[in-house]
Amino acid sequence: MAEADGKAGCGRQGALAVGLSQPAGWRSLLSITILFLAWLAGFSSRLFAVIRFESVIHEFDPWFNYRSTHHLTTNGFYEFLNWFDERAWYPLGRIVGGTVYPGLMVTAGLIHYTLNLLHVTVHIRDVCVFLAPVFSGLTAISTFLLTGELWSQGAALLAACFIAIVPGYISRSVAGSFDNEGIAIFALQFTYYLWVKSIKTGSVFWTICCCLSYFYMVSAWGGYVFIINLIPLHVFVLLLMQRFSKRVYIAYSTFYIVGLVLSMQIPFVGFQPIRTSEHMAAAGVFALLQAYAFLQYLKDKLTRQERQSLFYLGVSIAALAVFLSVIYLSFIGEHLYNYAKIHIPIIASVSEHQPTTWVSFFFDLHILVCTFPAGLWFCIKNINDERVFVALYAISAVYFAGVMVRLMLTLTPVVCVLSAIAFSSIFERYLGDDTKRENPPSEDSGDEDDRRNSGNLYDKAGKVRKHVSEQDKAEDGLGPNIKSIVTMLMLMLLLMFAVHCTWVTSNAYSSPSVVLASYNHDGSRNILDDFREAYYWLRQNTNEHARVMSWWDYGYQIAGMANRTTLVDNNTWNNSHIALVGKAMSSNESVAYDIMRMLDVDYVLIIFGGVIGYSGDDINKFLWMVRIAEGEHPKDVRESDYFTPQGEFRVDKAGSPTLLNCLMYKMSYYRFGEMQLDFRTPPGFDRTRNAEIGNKDIKFQHLEEAFTSEHWLVRIYKVKKLENREPLGHKPRVTNTIPKQKHTSKKVRVSRNAAAAGYRVM
Amino acid sequence: MFLIDGETGRGQASLTPALARYDWLSRRVRGYVPVSADVVQGRKMAMDGSAMRGIRKRGLVMSPSLSAGFSSSVLFVLSAALLLQVVSGDGKTLVLLDNPNIRDTHSIFFRSLADRGFDLTFKTADDPSLSLIKYGQFLYDHLIIFSPSVEDFGGNINVETITAFIDGGGNVLVAASSDIGDPLRELGSECGIEFDEEKTAVIDHHNFDVSDPGEHTLIVADPENLLKAPTIVGKPTEKPILFKGVGMVADPDNPLVLDILTGSSTSYSYFPDRPITQYPHAVGKNTLLIAGLQARNNARVVFSGSLHFFSDAFFNSPVQKATPGSKRFPQTGNQELAEALSRWVFKEAGVLRVGAVTHHPVGESTPPAAYTITDLVEYSIVIEMLSEGRWVPFDGDDIQLEFVRIDPFVRTYLKKNGGKYSVQFKLPDVYGVFQFKVDYNRLGYTHLYSSTQVSVRPLQHTQYERFIPSAYPYYASVFSMMAGLFIFSVVFLHMKEKEKSD
Repeated sequence: MAEADGKAGCGRQGALAVGLSQPAGWRSLLSITILFLAWLAGFSSRLFAVIRFESVIHEFDPWFNYRSTHHLTTNGFYEFLNWFDERAWYPLGRIVGGTVYPGLMVTAGLIHYTLNLLHVTVHIRDVCVFLAPVFSGLTAISTFLLTGELWSQGAALLAACFIAIVPGYISRSVAGSFDNEGIAIFALQFTYYLWVKSIKTGSVFWTICCCLSYFYMVSAWGGYVFIINLIPLHVFVLLLMQRFSKRVYIAYSTFYIVGLVLSMQIPFVGFQPIRTSEHMAAAGVFALLQAYAFLQYLKDKLTRQERQSLFYLGVSIAALAVFLSVIYLSFIGEHLYNYAKIHIPIIASVSEHQPTTWVSFFFDLHILVCTFPAGLWFCIKNINDERVFVALYAISAVYFAGVMVRLMLTLTPVVCVLSAIAFSSIFERYLGDDTKRENPPSEDSGDEDDRRNSGNLYDKAGKVRKHVSEQDKAEDGLGPNIKSIVTMLMLMLLLMFAVHCTWVTSNAYSSPSVVLASYNHDGSRNILDDFREAYYWLRQNTNEHARVMSWWDYGYQIAGMANRTTLVDNNTWNNSHIALVGKAMSSNESVAYDIMRMLDVDYVLIIFGGVIGYSGDDINKFLWMVRIAEGEHPKDVRESDYFTPQGEFRVDKAGSPTLLNCLMYKMSYYRFGEMQLDFRTPPGFDRTRNAEIGNKDIKFQHLEEAFTSEHWLVRIYKVKKLENREPLGHKPRVTNTIPKQKHTSKKVRVSRNAAAAGYRVM
Repeated sequence: MFLIDGETGRGQASLTPALARYDWLSRRVRGYVPVSADVVQGRKMAMDGSAMRGIRKRGLVMSPSLSAGFSSSVLFVLSAALLLQVVSGDGKTLVLLDNPNIRDTHSIFFRSLADRGFDLTFKTADDPSLSLIKYGQFLYDHLIIFSPSVEDFGGNINVETITAFIDGGGNVLVAASSDIGDPLRELGSECGIEFDEEKTAVIDHHNFDVSDPGEHTLIVADPENLLKAPTIVGKPTEKPILFKGVGMVADPDNPLVLDILTGSSTSYSYFPDRPITQYPHAVGKNTLLIAGLQARNNARVVFSGSLHFFSDAFFNSPVQKATPGSKRFPQTGNQELAEALSRWVFKEAGVLRVGAVTHHPVGESTPPAAYTITDLVEYSIVIEMLSEGRWVPFDGDDIQLEFVRIDPFVRTYLKKNGGKYSVQFKLPDVYGVFQFKVDYNRLGYTHLYSSTQVSVRPLQHTQYERFIPSAYPYYASVFSMMAGLFIFSVVFLHMKEKEKSD
């Protein structure tokens, strides 16, 4: 969409520009127009969710971000910094100020403040909802700048258009998705742009700008680690390639020191940059660079003999340093390993931590995934300092994106940059030279092509100087038909790309997930608003200090929408606490009741999708609860108990008795056995798992149903107090040693019923 | 939008909606009781119907109350059970009898109740006009069931209404006998006590009275077998207790049931006129002659296996064990025990309540929105006991305060300080949501439970030490570096000029 807009704009303005004999001002006007259109297209295509549903915060983490931003705007920055949230992680509480990347909240708060200062009175929620779409425009601009530094202005404009609409980025930045990534990708791209700029110029000014941008990135997202490893890697590879220069030295020395000091100002980061292993590469490269520069200096000053002895000295020092660092890193590595071992179930349970499938590469990047290797090849073929950087960026990002699906996000910008370079080079080859050789433009292409062709003059303008000789060689054998065919093909691809992007955005990434939509056979839409219905019920009908136990996925939403205390939430920092909740969910009722009493639980909230066939419900997540609980309580909870002897996880009659009597099962299917959804299925037929449930006669001793939403999606149970009396568990003994004749008159029975009724009325 | 507008973000919700909210929790909640700076929430009290009734009776005006601490959403008293207990001496009491004669045969006991101000209403158990609850209100505060053989209560009384009465805070005294009917057995099992079958009796071939006709069911119970709780059984005496009736057993794991009087080790419960073909229901010390229950809402129930126990005849009869050489007592201990039991069960004795709970940092007078770790805190609580119809400060030296976050981090004795108990202690170096908990559970006294939730937050960014002595070398290095750079720049610039001039 933006692509098409951009191209069209490009063409129209281009024709005008030719007519005006290309004054420099036109070029920038054109660029600005295209960038503006890209921004607009990127912004608009992110609004599907708002238009279809409403201006609402999406998903899970954004709810926390929104709640913190709200706290920030109502109480001021220092209150936010010192915010101790006693409503999260009951009874542990959470130091919010020290455990968040505050960049997002501060950015939104600042925008809100500025707007209100100008008497544009918007609610903070709207600022939060529209922050990511606005920042997507900034991302487009910084990608434009970065690509401009790497290649040509034409490629830069293409890259800006790509990043504006590429689904891989939209997935994290639709309106309402108020998450760190929304602003962090801008910071990432802008930092890289400034870094390339400082490597090119060797100017302290640009490097300091880079550090400030890096500081913003650190404040915004944990992904800053990517920067602090990629830049040292770049420097290191430059050293290996013998491309060391004063510029590199100045840029990196300044960046490392200033960046380090700045990054340590974020409370959540604190001393990590000098303690943890993922920051050690930067320190090592810094030391190496100093040593290298020192040796370079000595090389000029010393004789050959002295150099040799110095060489030995250097080698031994290096050996010692390596030895020490190995010891240190092995220590840290052990720590890291333990960390991973403990946390594996909980990290693995998060869907965005799964390895990426091939499909999702194509889904998120479409044609770009095919063209970006070409761009990479172009870069490597015409290598220089900054192209080394983009090559490393591409390679490492591809690796990380393959490891974890959420890191697709870091891959997307570089794919856009490189694909833009590839497309730009192709267009340059197949369009640009016609005018350069002063062939009549109308001779070999149609009207539309002509306009596009002229528009792409600008690609060439920035670039021709560098590669004139190559182009001359390569283009000798190309006929006009081939050129037009290739151009048409490329344009077709771009067109399909734009269509695909819009389609994916509309269908896959614009669901707020707090509001669900289902489609009827006639295509009309049903809104399932069960989540908000239930949270609102909690907000209205429970004690203000009621504690709600739920699986951690819903913690932020309960805090944000229902404003109630939660036991665990999406900030999964305390595995044992989560395991305790998991244990309560996976134990039988009486064990669970003890845990719930220990944790002062008042309500239990679960998500149940069996009625409408919602697959993301708690029963489908249940095995993760069991696994996480087993990690901490291996004696009490065993995953194998929840499978049938054949190793299946079934909820029907064949399911394991442990599963059929655990709290989560009982809460999900309480009274579900009485419900017949349609005439083809028996009562108690679970649509999500396509099975008739195995335990239809569920009774609670310590819980009672408090609320079930319209489509049974959310069920809330109240935890009862201890019984007032403890009745005998059995009937009084009757030995019948002296048989006794019962004489209960009918009249008494009637009166008894009447009494019971009277009590109920009371 | 459906939620979160600017005003209702967090912690600003007022208490007023909470009032309506509680109506479904308990039908009898009428409002909130302001207690000092903190708000005592109705949760526990909602269970405690008697407290509520007591309030109604006295015509106290209750209104929702807000305090500064509450509106800042940090501080609240979770519950204070037993607050404002009923002063029961003037309670309306329904007495259910098998036949009107019992009123005469047990006149001493009833007179002692009437003398103490109880308003007794005598009805036969099958009176069709019986009613305990009308329009959701309890018509009586206490219930005495002296009708062991009843097979069906009249009117709208049945076991369910009686248990509802107990759950609503009513107190019940039940006397059974060997003619025990099913309703009483059911009532017993609802309360965790299992009566033996009809026609059985407690038999003891070693401790029976000389006047026993030969079945050895007129038992002389040793006062040593009484529960060691003076608030329930009165002052310890030597006088043995005469008992004739059905035995009970209780689950030893049931924390609410009290074994007020047990049989001796030679007693058992069986049909006196039958050969023993089955293992007796109760044997030895497990045989309960009198059992009590203090429910979690502090409603009290006493089950006596013997109706004769309360009779004038037993009160005044001389007693002597049939074993040779045993001492003869001119009077049984029944009267004293019955009186003490009735005092306890009708809440004249052993009734405590929590009054004002306050806590604040030492040196301040109001609680902060959140405490900071390692603050020095003073906690105080008023505990009162009902004595002669008036609330007087309770005197106990074993009341403990716990500071709990799942586990207790601090556990300390409260010291009596004027009319209240208080203690000063240092908060642990751990942040989180804690509770001040006083959980005082002693035999014969109402279960006292008060919990006050507070937040303990970590240091704020301004509260850390500014200049740490051990960091002075680093400060020195920073300033020396700055000075060095300055000098270097001067020298560098100067040198350059010099070279140029050269």
